[in-house]
Amino acid sequence: MGIQMIDIVASIKDALNEPITFLGSNNPPTYGEVLEFFLILLIGFIIARIIRFYLRRTLKERMPKNTANNVIKVVYYGILSIVFLISLNLIHVSLSGLLVAGGILGIVIGFASQTVVSNLISGLFLVIEKPVKVGDGVDIDGVSGIVTDIRILSTTIRTYDGIYTRIPNDKVFSSHIQNYVAHGARRFGYTVGIRYGDDAEKAISIIKKLLDDHPFVLHNPSPTIFVKNLADSSVEISIKIWSPSSCWYDVYTEMLWKIKVALEKEGIEIPFPQRVIWMAGKNNQ
Amino acid sequence: MFGKYDLDVTLAEDGVKIVVEDAGKRKRYYRKCGKEEVEKFIHADTGRIVVCPVEPVNIPLPNPAEHLQIELDKPLIVASGERDTFYTTFPVEVGVFLVDRKDVERIDLFTKTKPKFTLYGPPESGIVCKWWQSSIYSEPPKVKKLREGVFKVDIRNEYHEWMEIQKLVFCGHEMKMFYNDHAYLHGFIKIQKRTVGDTGFISRKPKDMHGSIDIHLAKGLKRLENYVMEWGFK
Repeated sequence: MGIQMIDIVASIKDALNEPITFLGSNNPPTYGEVLEFFLILLIGFIIARIIRFYLRRTLKERMPKNTANNVIKVVYYGILSIVFLISLNLIHVSLSGLLVAGGILGIVIGFASQTVVSNLISGLFLVIEKPVKVGDGVDIDGVSGIVTDIRILSTTIRTYDGIYTRIPNDKVFSSHIQNYVAHGARRFGYTVGIRYGDDAEKAISIIKKLLDDHPFVLHNPSPTIFVKNLADSSVEISIKIWSPSSCWYDVYTEMLWKIKVALEKEGIEIPFPQRVIWMAGKNNQ
Repeated sequence: MFGKYDLDVTLAEDGVKIVVEDAGKRKRYYRKCGKEEVEKFIHADTGRIVVCPVEPVNIPLPNPAEHLQIELDKPLIVASGERDTFYTTFPVEVGVFLVDRKDVERIDLFTKTKPKFTLYGPPESGIVCKWWQSSIYSEPPKVKKLREGVFKVDIRNEYHEWMEIQKLVFCGHEMKMFYNDHAYLHGFIKIQKRTVGDTGFISRKPKDMHGSIDIHLAKGLKRLENYVMEWGFK
């Protein structure tokens, strides 16, 4: 029985050491080497999956979902590529030959996929630099809206009109970006005109009280209210308000009308454009 | 008003009315606070209603702040190496919860105070905080229970100079709130540098008080961490 087993093992060994002649190569790999090649690929695949699993758990709480997905993809496919390239040596595929062929192919592919690579690199830099995050209100190259996704090749924005807009990452990276919510608070302002006959100080105190009563008009930095200009038809009062970035637009759309109503309630009116005309009379002739 | 009640209760205090009553097969929840009214239906046979103060950084919704800034109406000057304990008030927000053995569900949130927000730090890196102004008291102040709570603050100046304190910033999510007939917090501030200090909360339950339900962190997962004030105290 023992001798039979030894014979079987020996014959398997012989079979594995047999070169694969039908490949027609000068230096064909043996069946054993091919088996080893696939085994290493399998082990590499399992290791890559395990690392991907742990990266998912680790990065879940530490970075945005899309960024984490991109990092995980790069690591996963990076491991698979490295394992594949290293194990090619086992089946007698010369990496030097591959490098030459790969170099030429690389040049061809490089020319063909210049834009794709540019977008890919820009995407990686966007992930590192983080000028925008998913959920931020932004203006990128004239497109305003909420960032809904940052992928490896492109960034998608839902405009304030609800339109899906995809911007290639190289454009995002090289564009002028305004992130409306990157800072905790932001300032906006109005200019309100009152009649020359009205008391500007009273108007300022009415506006100040109104702003003090609003929760999202920040206590500090406090609003700035001052007479800005003695214009043709009105005394212009400038109002500058700091508000949390997350809700500034609600305050912006709400306050101007409230200011107008509050002023009029106290007898201060916002005048129409007017011009005083002096008519030539008899005395002037 | 704070406490634990059966699913059939009427509470009224300081212009606030809470009613839970039978409405056919269900229960009707009704709350009035000032002009604001809320009405909901509850489909449950078991469970109780808990009315308790919650971290005062939730209203109005959506709330832009996670921190509470208490501005002292008169500054406090503390000598180097000195410790002190004083009391302030803080705004009260009231949560109404449905609780049973398995779960806690918030069904309502209201306040009698007028919320106001402020920025602590510079616009590019500062944080938006719920703002509240208070005097300093040597003894626990008498408070309007549904409007203000009592905040005991231990202060310690570890810096080598006198320090003037007018602003205290606390992380709302880390608050450990207690109550009996009024809301109670016990916090501390450790001044380390001219513009840097640690603030946090003491989670030890005072005698004759109950622990409030934390809105922000699930029961058992609460991890009290200090907040670092890094933009000064004035």
